[in-house]
Amino acid sequence: MGEKIKLEIRNMTKLYKNNDGVRNINLKVKEGELITLLGPSGCGKTTILRTIGGFLKCDSGSILIDRKPIEHLPPEKRPTSIVFQNYNLWPHMTVYENMAFGLKLRKIPKAERHRQIMEMLDLVKMTGMEKKYPNQMSGGQQQRIAIARSLLLKPEVLLLDEPFSALDAKIRSQMREELRKFQIDLNITVVFVTHDQEEAMALSDRIVVMNKGTFEQIGTPADVYNNPVNKYVAGFIGDMNFIELADKTIAVRPENVLIHRGTRGGIKGKIRATMVLGHYSEVTVDTKHGIIKAFVSCENSNIFHPGESVSLSFTKFHEYDKKDLAS
Amino acid sequence: MEKRTWKTNLFIAAMIAPSLILTMGIIIYPIINTIVTSFRSSDGSGFSLEYYKFIFTDKIAVNNITYTMGIVIVTVMGSIVISYLLALYLRFTDSKISKFIGTMYLLPRFIPQLVAVYAMITVIRDTGLLNRISRLFGKDFRPGLMYNAKGITLMNLWFNIPFATMIIVASLSAIPDSVIESARDVGAKKLNVFFKMILPLSFKDVMIAMTFVFMSNVSAFTTPYVIGGNNPIMLGVYLRKQFSEYANYELAAALSVVMFLFSSVSAVIYIYTNLKEKEWEKV
Ligand SMILES: Nc1ncnc2c1ncn2[C@@H]1O[C@H](COP(=O)(O)OP(=O)(O)O)[C@@H](O)[C@H]1O
Ligand SMILES: [Mg+2]
Repeated sequence: MGEKIKLEIRNMTKLYKNNDGVRNINLKVKEGELITLLGPSGCGKTTILRTIGGFLKCDSGSILIDRKPIEHLPPEKRPTSIVFQNYNLWPHMTVYENMAFGLKLRKIPKAERHRQIMEMLDLVKMTGMEKKYPNQMSGGQQQRIAIARSLLLKPEVLLLDEPFSALDAKIRSQMREELRKFQIDLNITVVFVTHDQEEAMALSDRIVVMNKGTFEQIGTPADVYNNPVNKYVAGFIGDMNFIELADKTIAVRPENVLIHRGTRGGIKGKIRATMVLGHYSEVTVDTKHGIIKAFVSCENSNIFHPGESVSLSFTKFHEYDKKDLAS
Repeated sequence: MEKRTWKTNLFIAAMIAPSLILTMGIIIYPIINTIVTSFRSSDGSGFSLEYYKFIFTDKIAVNNITYTMGIVIVTVMGSIVISYLLALYLRFTDSKISKFIGTMYLLPRFIPQLVAVYAMITVIRDTGLLNRISRLFGKDFRPGLMYNAKGITLMNLWFNIPFATMIIVASLSAIPDSVIESARDVGAKKLNVFFKMILPLSFKDVMIAMTFVFMSNVSAFTTPYVIGGNNPIMLGVYLRKQFSEYANYELAAALSVVMFLFSSVSAVIYIYTNLKEKEWEKV
């Protein structure tokens, strides 16, 4: 990843007739960076991606690639390529024809076209699938071809709109890893959209956490995880306990909760249940602030029994003023 | 499974019998009867092809066939082209007007044919609405659409455009937006998107619409009877004339067989397009 800015969005607003949409979006994406727009369904992720791809006109603001404005160009003239959640491939064309279509439009000679397609199929490990039609492939294979088809055209910015959401969990994490590998190897700039925080954490150089058409926080996965700027981000990413006090909210990750036998901790409670989740266990504790969840290592988990009186202390926590909580 | 007893067999036969007899009586028997009649010779001496020969050699008969085919082909082409354009508009524009047209375009189908034909006459005849409007402006515009092929074709378009549009709209609606957007994304301009994506993906349904329009118009009767001329006439009217005015039952029978064959050409095309699933259409 270089320091050069590949894609820049300046003060962009796009509202639909009903006033839904996105407002005052500012974003800089570096060359070779994979940035993820993360947020719940309906927060405007697709809207931003479609304005970058040229499928939506922005109401105001500008979009620049390599410092050149592109917001006035139709999709076919933009140096971007987009992959949707599904139905990307042209059903009446084979894999080979799907991949050749864009190259033909660019007047690449046949032999060269063939060479490039075969090379790309090899890269995505789909050699031998040239003659298959989309309906003869699994969803994962189709998405792989869709991404390969985009990569073949060497876009300046690759746009991915929840490309793996329709796939089952195992394939999804495998595709995620592969994508990350191509992306780093080929040094492509990617804007990735997802509502899945785990996916965002696993994949991204930086994450943009979105809420109702605006950005809440932009930062590396570690940043947004360790230092969420507000309660919304804190609740959206990872597990978080919230303790509501009169004037503020305390947010604590379960791994930062220590359980003490006796009354050494500040908050008293009773063990409710213990659940083994692999190499760690989740212990839930009833307190006057509600249920608080703690992660403890497995060897410690069986020393706590339901109903036992304990106390809790926090190794790390965040405080959010109640005034900000309107959002 | 248990072997059927003769009682069950009898029961099944008894259940099927009424519909079988009805079908035989009202469909199969007349068809066979018509075919047999069409091959009778005029002197009663038995089998002959003379009525078929007449249909394809007699000047008036041939003239009527070409006249019918001309009208049908113009109707098919006209309604498919117009319907396709209308369907493209309805599928790809999102405006109040397109929504309105989208809900209204089928209405002509709900108007009984005869009513529609007479309504049209009051507009297009030489003393009709168009003429009266033109006279307001001091002109005397005579559309000249009555008693000729133009009027019939116009009426056919009125009936067939809504129908063909309905089929093509359904076909275009089944094409996901992402298919079209991906094409634009890789650099296809509008014409390319149309010829490489939309047309191939809707081709089959266009063929189906064409065959239906063709079949229903080859044997059209009401419209050509009411607003057609005296010569040439469309085959449906010609058939009726032979049957009711000249009592020429053999010729009428031969004509119906010929019309049936014309229709079956398009039926064959229909069945062929439907059966021949391309590899990409298989599930
Ligand atoms: N074509 C449209 N017309 C009107 N509202 C829309 C349209 N597309 C999306 N919206 C609204 O805009 C908001 C953002 O949508 P979208 O960008 O698709 O969200 P996301 O991709 O994050 O789920 C949503 O509230 C949605 O209902
Ligand atoms: Mg979306």
